[in-house]
Amino acid sequence: MKIIKQVGIVFSICWISQVIEKLLPFTFPASVISMVLLLLCLLTGILKIGHIQEKADFLLSNMAFFFVPAGVSIINYFDILKSTAVQLVIICTVSTVITFGVTAWSVKCTMHLLNKKAQKKEKEHC
Amino acid sequence: MEEIVYSPYFGIALSILAFGIGVKLHQKWKTPLCNPLIVAIVLVAAILLLFKIPYEAYNVGGEIINMFLAPATACLAVAVYSKLAILKQYWLPILVGCTAGSGASMASVYAMCRLFHLDESLQVSLLPKSVTTPIAVSVAESAGGVVPITVVAVIFTGILGSIVAPLLIRLFRVSDPVAAGLAIGASSHAMGTSKAIELGEVEGAMSGLAIGICGMITVLLSLLIL
Repeated sequence: MKIIKQVGIVFSICWISQVIEKLLPFTFPASVISMVLLLLCLLTGILKIGHIQEKADFLLSNMAFFFVPAGVSIINYFDILKSTAVQLVIICTVSTVITFGVTAWSVKCTMHLLNKKAQKKEKEHC
Repeated sequence: MEEIVYSPYFGIALSILAFGIGVKLHQKWKTPLCNPLIVAIVLVAAILLLFKIPYEAYNVGGEIINMFLAPATACLAVAVYSKLAILKQYWLPILVGCTAGSGASMASVYAMCRLFHLDESLQVSLLPKSVTTPIAVSVAESAGGVVPITVVAVIFTGILGSIVAPLLIRLFRVSDPVAAGLAIGASSHAMGTSKAIELGEVEGAMSGLAIGICGMITVLLSLLIL
């Protein structure tokens, strides 16, 4: 019964999110709405982590499996893939390096600024 | 013979079997190239093509598996929630890093798509490729992209990221574990995170947080531009 209840909670949130998606005037993916909704429920204490722990562990630890059918449907798109494979590889590789660099650098700068601020504050206190 | 493969059990059983083989191979060789998802996709595709089983037959079961994608995405909230303490401590660097990273990812993909004259459906399929698969797929889907291309690009990015992460840390001289973890999570989502966990506890936690945060930021950015 415990697991059934958890499935019920998670599926209800997913369904409510689909309803919200339909009501929103712009396109916003229902799955992301459900993520935000669940986070809000946890933060406000409406749901306790224990209410969904097992179900969440099951879904998160098997996440990759749920993408098998989506990946297999690539056999219907072999022609697109064949004609653009080189470009796709270049785009993915270059943008991965850029994303890594930009993120690392911006975090480093932010931390540096925060540290400086903290040091300044300390000095003022002395 | 035909109706046998049109049973939903066929697609589900085949997927689980193929994924199980993928997991076993991954445990044996421990290389990111032996990713269970890739192995499963290749095995299933090979069996369908070899035995001339129509994709529609496989997809009767496939659609049932697809149904679990939305709940799985929702549960990313649990992953973020369980790291709330560290999120509160570093909220500003996390927010700045994830926003800059997601923006840089989308901008660089957009620029290169224009450079290679790729058509618009491919472009929107690739734009969200640095975030975790469920979010990338929903972004591509609602913008009219080709979902399987998104899945392939996301997996490729993830595998690449988990292989080159240690190299990139040296290349960009990232000494801070917070910066390293966020950079790995922002550039190569969950697959990179598995590598980040090996590098250290802070790296792993930061990388895991970056998955959810970058996902949300990417959705917001795509709303603005698409």
